[in-house]
Amino acid sequence: MSGKWTRLVAVAWLSLRGSLRGARVLGLAGFALIPSLIVVAVASTHPAASALSSAAEGLFAVLTLPIVTMVIVLVLGVAQFRNEIDSETLLYLSDRSITRPMIVVGKYLGSLAAALTLVIPAALVPLSVAVLGGARMYAIQVPATLAVAAVLAAVAYTGFFLFLGLVSRAAFLIGLLYGFLWEELVPLLPGSAPRLTLVFYLRNFLSTELTSGPLSGYPTPLTPAGSVLVPIGLAIAFLVLGSIVFRYLETAPERESV
Amino acid sequence: MTGIVDADSVTKRYGEVLGLNGFTASFPPGITGLVGPNGAGKSTLFRLLSGQLRSDAGTLSLLGFPAWGQGEFRRRVGYCPEQSALFDWMTGFDFVATLLRVDGFSRPEARVRAARAIETVGLTDARDRRLKAYSKGMRQRIKLAQCIAHDPELILLDEPLNGVDPVGRVALSGLMRQLSTTGHHLIVSSHVLYEVERLTEQIVMISHGQAIAQGDLHRIRDLIDSRPHMVDLETPDPRGVARLIGAWDHIVSIEFTGPEKLRVLTRSPDTFYAALPALVVTEKLTIRSVHSADDNLDAVFRYLAGGGR
Repeated sequence: MSGKWTRLVAVAWLSLRGSLRGARVLGLAGFALIPSLIVVAVASTHPAASALSSAAEGLFAVLTLPIVTMVIVLVLGVAQFRNEIDSETLLYLSDRSITRPMIVVGKYLGSLAAALTLVIPAALVPLSVAVLGGARMYAIQVPATLAVAAVLAAVAYTGFFLFLGLVSRAAFLIGLLYGFLWEELVPLLPGSAPRLTLVFYLRNFLSTELTSGPLSGYPTPLTPAGSVLVPIGLAIAFLVLGSIVFRYLETAPERESV
Repeated sequence: MTGIVDADSVTKRYGEVLGLNGFTASFPPGITGLVGPNGAGKSTLFRLLSGQLRSDAGTLSLLGFPAWGQGEFRRRVGYCPEQSALFDWMTGFDFVATLLRVDGFSRPEARVRAARAIETVGLTDARDRRLKAYSKGMRQRIKLAQCIAHDPELILLDEPLNGVDPVGRVALSGLMRQLSTTGHHLIVSSHVLYEVERLTEQIVMISHGQAIAQGDLHRIRDLIDSRPHMVDLETPDPRGVARLIGAWDHIVSIEFTGPEKLRVLTRSPDTFYAALPALVVTEKLTIRSVHSADDNLDAVFRYLAGGGR
């Protein structure tokens, strides 16, 4: 492996390990369990098999994707730079021979990998719970589509929240406002406004891939390729922006002691 | 300027606060002490050199490269920061090896170098303990290990002996001297002046963000030799001695600092030291000790920082 790739992998691995540790990851894992717990609660009322299947599937679009995934990625993504700037550990990377854009990409990959270890189970375990609770077996296309949608969400959210953590001390708050106001309210507006949200493209993807069930009912004005490319494009755009910002960013916190 | 580190009129502001204020200095090869009190601007200079901060004005270069820059030349620089923040969840060995990987070293080489650096700083027994369990002195040492593990040409040490126990101080000072004899250039900051004095005679003095003096310690002493110079005398007859030397025209003042002690301020220390033995002989004086209060670095610094007062 060349020195360039060694550096990139080292930063990504450092970020991944740093993300998946301590009370924070336990809290996020507990949060990721919420959809599964809801499915358990629904199953305990002994609904019809098809109703249980629909509940588990529908939960993905209204809870797992826009809230659970968003919050997990927010916590992990924002921490990548913000926590390290505040704790002054970022200097151990920024004073090395690795380029700053490479640090941004490495942290992005590490943070994305950490998010996926929580988000993929959050997407798929509820389906398994539903089947164990008496729901009909899903066609393989359903969990596959949900998994891809979760990955797309994590790809885009990670890029955005990593960037927020780089540019703002209030990144977590801004991220929450974005997730719970913008992504929830703008899709309710008429016209083209919903296209300004990520969840629009993710739901479009679900509807084009799943022709039946509760996730097939969203409007599909875009092709599947379009709904995949937009989240990926967003991630790349924020990575490029983040690299530019970090290139010129002073990483030492302002201090009274000089 | 053609030093290892060159600073020309470097200014750095933190809002209204000036971290550096037109700092100009050239750091030569070998060990150079950066001496100044807390808040003088030492850490700001190191943060600029390590690429964490960008200067607002002036030019700053290390090894011929602009300080606000990245790239392969950073592998020739090692930085040991003053702050004790570390990746606390890692072990000492993991910390050093990981940072070597970030610098592009292969896994086997990183492990070998990390082990060697940790042994050099005397932490081999604790290398597999988590950093959060390290004492302050151990944290200083592991920071030093990550700083030297990639065998950098230029080593920046910001208050490296802070928090280290006396035995550790001796060991680390020895290590710094050893590094300087093997082709490394060190810039060592400290506000504890005797520490720097024991390491090197090459110093840059900083106060209020400005270099107030630089060069060989003795050369800096020469700077103040034309100014009043303090000499402490111990004698059983302080008043008699005071009466005799008070007649010399270069004596500025005489102060009785104890029952048998005098503090003399002279504008011409060379003349004073030349004339004193003759006076002792001719007047049959008993002078138990003569001590130049300005001989240590602390006094030199106080003198220069205070504008010669």
